[in-house]
Amino acid sequence: MRRQFTAFTKSQNLTLAVIIVLGVVLLGVTSGGNFFSPVSVRTFFQFLAVPILIGLAQMITISVGQLNLAIGSIGGFAACLAGVMMADLGVPDVLGVLVALAVGAAAGFVNGWLVVVTRINGFIVTLATMTILSGAQYAVVSTRTVSSRNWEVVSGIGRATLLGIPVVFLIAVAVAVLVSLAFNHSVGGRRLLASGDNPHAATLAGISNDRSVIVAHAASGLLCGVAAFISLATLSGVNQSVGGDWLLSSFAAPIIGGVSLTGGSVAILGTTLAATVVRLVDSGRAEFQLAPAWVNFVVGAVVLGTVALGRAREVRDARRAGAARARAPQPAQPTEPTGVSQ
Amino acid sequence: MTELALEARGISKSFPGVKALDNVTLRLAGGEVHALLGENGAGKSTLIKILTGAHRADGGEIRIGGVVTDISSPTAAMAAGVGVVHQERNVIRGFTVGENIVMSRMPLRGGRIDWTTVRSEARRCLAMLDLDLDPDTPIAELSSAQTQLVEIARGLYTETRVLLLDEPTASISGNEADRLFRVVARLKDEGAAILFVSHKLEEVYAHCDTVTVLRDGRSVLSSEPLANHSRDEIVDIMVGRSLASLEVPQRSVDRSAPPVLELRSVNTTAGHHEVSLDVRAGEILGLYGLVGAGRTELARAILGLERITTGSLMVHGEQASIRSVRQALQKYRIGYVTENRKEEGVFLEQSITRNIAVTVWSTLEKTFGYVSGRRERELVESYVRDLDIRISSQEQLAGQLSGGNQQKVSLAKWLAAKTQILIIDEPTVGIDVRTKRAFYDLIWKLADDGLAILLISSDLAEMITLADRIVVMDRFAISGDVENTHDYDSMSQSVIRLIHAELPVA
Repeated sequence: MRRQFTAFTKSQNLTLAVIIVLGVVLLGVTSGGNFFSPVSVRTFFQFLAVPILIGLAQMITISVGQLNLAIGSIGGFAACLAGVMMADLGVPDVLGVLVALAVGAAAGFVNGWLVVVTRINGFIVTLATMTILSGAQYAVVSTRTVSSRNWEVVSGIGRATLLGIPVVFLIAVAVAVLVSLAFNHSVGGRRLLASGDNPHAATLAGISNDRSVIVAHAASGLLCGVAAFISLATLSGVNQSVGGDWLLSSFAAPIIGGVSLTGGSVAILGTTLAATVVRLVDSGRAEFQLAPAWVNFVVGAVVLGTVALGRAREVRDARRAGAARARAPQPAQPTEPTGVSQ
Repeated sequence: MTELALEARGISKSFPGVKALDNVTLRLAGGEVHALLGENGAGKSTLIKILTGAHRADGGEIRIGGVVTDISSPTAAMAAGVGVVHQERNVIRGFTVGENIVMSRMPLRGGRIDWTTVRSEARRCLAMLDLDLDPDTPIAELSSAQTQLVEIARGLYTETRVLLLDEPTASISGNEADRLFRVVARLKDEGAAILFVSHKLEEVYAHCDTVTVLRDGRSVLSSEPLANHSRDEIVDIMVGRSLASLEVPQRSVDRSAPPVLELRSVNTTAGHHEVSLDVRAGEILGLYGLVGAGRTELARAILGLERITTGSLMVHGEQASIRSVRQALQKYRIGYVTENRKEEGVFLEQSITRNIAVTVWSTLEKTFGYVSGRRERELVESYVRDLDIRISSQEQLAGQLSGGNQQKVSLAKWLAAKTQILIIDEPTVGIDVRTKRAFYDLIWKLADDGLAILLISSDLAEMITLADRIVVMDRFAISGDVENTHDYDSMSQSVIRLIHAELPVA
């Protein structure tokens, strides 16, 4: 327990929690209390679900030392395909949601499979699938916006609240808990971390790194599918732009949340908190009616700052290790020949 | 006679350009500790990797308990009861001690990892080594010796009929090694077969019953009682008469000349402590030490990649402050032939010409940065001839060459840059014996031409053959300085005496 507490204070989580509290207070005061109105609070949490989910989706690929540029287009395509099927083909809502989830998982699986089979860098593979899927998204919806009136049941979930908290936010939290359980208590999750930390050692321990890469991409895609479902539930309609602005925040959340870009680590709480910070920046932007470009500017700058800070810490640690070696006792003069040969 | 615990027959394995193992035979009986000896690059680690499923043999068969077994993966090896402690660090740094120990077979309860059992199992393995380590400690917080002990504990986790130990004592103290040997003795009494790889003959003679010696990928001594051979015989078999009696040219170094490169009481950010050494023109100074002693880091400090905090670095008698490799090369004419040929030495996807000319592009440059192809080719042609680099054309890609020829390309670019000081790091790793000879001749020739050479090598035989003087480094400090007589027996004694100071004398 104490160990966990120390770990909490040492990690970025405490800093993030403080930033969130300060941000909330600041927004509350400057908005003259508007920010705390029930409608504002509900909207805040409603639109926090997707940033959390896509942050976790990116975190999973990063944990095995991969990345997923296709996050936005997997989600966008899944949402549009399911939307069009429900609107034009009369597919029932439940089936529509399943389509979104299945499309997400399948797209992620294909990403992982391509990386493993072709041995092409995951950056290029997901860059290509990103482009292909956003093309497919356009092919499906073209220039229309499919109205959410076509999926009233799903929209109902988007509006529903439990004790005043939007259900879609609770879904995102539930997913975060599941991801946390998977990484902390399942062999599958530990294998992903082992592969990401030291692939060579993982191989020697009987772990298939190829499998880890495929599993991570598939899980990442599945989470994009969940984010697609929540977009369907909370937006007034879906069109070609869904998912278009997910990429930066998907990286921002895990990076600010303390996930190492080299793989081998996850930070579920950190990613969730960082997604909340990003969401706060967005709320502030809306409150003061600033141009959306400001959000990108701030988030981009914070990501760069976080990475620079992490790098500075690494350099400092290396220096300390060197200094510690220099202080360590030096070899004593031997007294007797040991007669050992090479 | 009972069935052998493990028998490997006619094992062969080739890597591009190198035949790593050639028809190797190994017979391990239960209840015995078997030493596997050989010089660096003799094929010991490759053999271990084949027996544990990390590599697949090209030919031969492996029998475990008399049954032909296909060890296709590390999992298959574990299932067959073969446990291993690998030479390199194979821990997951982000995991705890406990999880690293049980990683190959996670204890589960109801589909979830049973962390209570993880801790108790880890404690059981650690206790076998008399180690009082909390299984919840993150690996990243351990010292390198502790990490090595965790690796050993991991080898003890699963029930093994055969335990392979690949240089388990390379980075731990004598005290810690004794704990290992107590466990080894117990496992031996329980009937396990243990294969022990070590460079420390003391340990081998103290704890092993039988021995196999590999040389250049062949088993030159196969599964014989150790008592039949004296230490000197074993060393001769390991080194091979051909190399031991290698003709060393008569060389004369003008010791009265001032040093070209000199370090005075240098401390660095990498952790070097009061390092002093000097090299003269035409001299080959050997810098010997075990892996991790700080030799490559010293080369990096000379090149400006680590900072020198106190003490001075003198080039041609003048104080030099080197901030980058570029400056080291252009201002002080210092070149560095890296130990990581494939990663740092050559551009695998580029032509031979580009690989060699890369250091001199600025001198070949004409107007607007255009590099003269003709002058480039002429220059490269002369080095290809002088170094006898075997290529089909200058346009051939470096990646297509054998290891030895790649190494020559890696060296040639520094000669093209007219370096006066050359630091050569592990020049013959992964290079076959014949090419090694050619390389030695080349290094002698370079010294005769007036280069000051700082030679870094972990191969003692190579050091004794090549160097004029040998400086020994241990734990980031110089522990001694020996004039090389080129006599293997006496030299190996005096050099080894300067390291492993804390090892108990058997």
